[in-house]
Amino acid sequence: MIAVAAGTNRIDPYLIPALDGVAYGLLVFVAASGLVFCFGVANILNLAHGLLYAIGGYTAAALLDGGWASLALALAVGVLAAAAAGVLLAGLLTPVATGNHLSQALLTFGVALAGGSLLVAGFGPDNPQVQVPAALEGSVMVAGHRYAAYRLVFIVVAAVLAAALYLVVRRTRAGMLVRAAVDDPEMVACLGVSPARIRAGVLAAAGALAGAAGVLGAPIIGPGTGTADTVLLLSLVVVVLGGLGSMAGTLLAALAIGEIQTLGVALLPSAAPFLLFAAMAAVLAVRARGLAGRWRAA
Amino acid sequence: MPLITPWRSRALTAALLAAVLTTSTACGDDAPGTSAGGSIKIGLLASLSGTYQAVGTEIRDGFQLYLDTHDGKLGGRQVDLIVADEGNGAQTAVPAATKLLKQDRVSALTGIVGGGSVAGVTPVLNETKVPLVGSNGRPELKDVSRVWHTSYLSDEPGAAIAQHVRDNVKGSVYAIGPDYQGGWDELRGFTDAFGKIGGKLANADGKTTFTPFPATTNFLPYFARIKASGAAAVYTFYAGSAAVDFVKQYAQSEIKDIPLYAAGFLTEGGVLNAQGEAARDIYSVLNYSPDLDNAENRAFVAAWKAKHDGSPTTYALASYDAAAVLDRAIGAAGSDPTPEAINTAIGKLGQIASPRGTWQFSTTTHSPVQKWYLRQVRQDGRALSNTVVGDLATVGR
Repeated sequence: MIAVAAGTNRIDPYLIPALDGVAYGLLVFVAASGLVFCFGVANILNLAHGLLYAIGGYTAAALLDGGWASLALALAVGVLAAAAAGVLLAGLLTPVATGNHLSQALLTFGVALAGGSLLVAGFGPDNPQVQVPAALEGSVMVAGHRYAAYRLVFIVVAAVLAAALYLVVRRTRAGMLVRAAVDDPEMVACLGVSPARIRAGVLAAAGALAGAAGVLGAPIIGPGTGTADTVLLLSLVVVVLGGLGSMAGTLLAALAIGEIQTLGVALLPSAAPFLLFAAMAAVLAVRARGLAGRWRAA
Repeated sequence: MPLITPWRSRALTAALLAAVLTTSTACGDDAPGTSAGGSIKIGLLASLSGTYQAVGTEIRDGFQLYLDTHDGKLGGRQVDLIVADEGNGAQTAVPAATKLLKQDRVSALTGIVGGGSVAGVTPVLNETKVPLVGSNGRPELKDVSRVWHTSYLSDEPGAAIAQHVRDNVKGSVYAIGPDYQGGWDELRGFTDAFGKIGGKLANADGKTTFTPFPATTNFLPYFARIKASGAAAVYTFYAGSAAVDFVKQYAQSEIKDIPLYAAGFLTEGGVLNAQGEAARDIYSVLNYSPDLDNAENRAFVAAWKAKHDGSPTTYALASYDAAAVLDRAIGAAGSDPTPEAINTAIGKLGQIASPRGTWQFSTTTHSPVQKWYLRQVRQDGRALSNTVVGDLATVGR
């Protein structure tokens, strides 16, 4: 059932949900890309990925005071802390055989539980308040609709992050190694690049991405006791929908999730509880590889 | 090509994990108190861990405050208070309550945050013939012979504010709330009473919009529908982190100028601090506000502020009143205050003086017949606080 809006334009009421879907989707993309990297490149199933996001979120809540300097500081601290947590995870994972998903899942899930408890012990059980810079606190008019200024700016920032990520993967030596490791891990090992180093590097990068998403996305998916689970769940759905090998697939899946969660809910509120998982089940049923095929080139 | 490629299997692993993660588990453990001879044992069950930790802590502290301000005595007897953790629901609450009732053999039970926990504990109460003076959650119960509540029934806030909304809003009202028992009850209370006095809902099908709970963290899609509906006001009920998300997003959305009416929990206690400026001007209905002007309340708020940061909430008040009820009932139960005698005495208490104003137990539901207040979030010194702006209906049956 699609409700027909009063007035001349029936698309009009859905403009803001559609725009918000882009913001939400880009956040999911930045948050999930780290997990996709880990899983796709280093073949590590990191169930503590949501925890890395939560570290960023709590950092934002603790450091943001309404000024721009605090945002920069929170971003730096959040990225470093989450990246450090990623390296720590890589160290813990050293004895676990690559590709042994059950052991990895148990280990990282244990870390996620322990880390989540530590965060709650440190920051309290209530969802902390996140104070964005005062200039972004208000709302702006978009095509005659009011929309949160922060989310609008977030769309731009997240798009820049996504583009930067693409360029790093496509154009830098690190990116080449990462892509090579997707295609032929043995050959990369033969080239003299230690798998342990790739593992640590990939987990650090994943942590940095999750940390950045956690800090910047704190006003959208805020820090709290359930944050780590929410983000991990969304990231896993991205893996299912978008497959593992391609950034394009990940982006497409993340944007699809964003639109399903906002535009989909606005169009079909009665289906809201299961819309996301119905979409996931449909994609799995039709195409177990996800929306995009295995990606090598672009 | 193998039937299952390595990363197809990974995608399936991810799908399985996603499925597993949608159901979460929780655990809690008890903290048994010590017992001393010659005193009366009271069991307090509240969620000291898990989702409702904040509410559970308020309930424990409210009861403790009454004891601290009354020489640790109820009805002239030294109280041996045994506190146990309710956890997240009946699953953890029932074992904890069973221990209090059967092993510690308490004379009365109090507290309990979740309605589901109360429903789970009730059979054990009837088996052990011990009264419960509950201070928060109250489900539909067939047999309330041993169950008393100092809080409210979930549909009462909405029923109490309906007339005010009808009188002050020119146009239709959009009703929206969380999709679980508490949300259904809260919203039904409003929509039933509002409909009876000729109020019209702005919702597309004339029915309340329910959002998935607790999954909904982004309310923007719903706000778009409210905008399109042309509603003149919104009535809602959310609590905890959902209340923070709802209020903060509302203030930045395209419907920020539409007046927001709510059951008081939307802006009660810690959530108001988290909402900050976004909560300003929201109207809510509740049975208590810390700025009520009566002698009991002034003493209560002063005693609370001496021990805690911030003002007491309705949760702490209900627990404080549960202690007051037990105080008078144990005193009236005579030289041998057995659980049965206490239960009978509670039924004969009549008017109870309280920081919320005088109230009494309904003879049919065993929950308060009490006055409800209209509050608005306003500046109070340096902080925002719920300020009473008027009296609403006296509700109870």
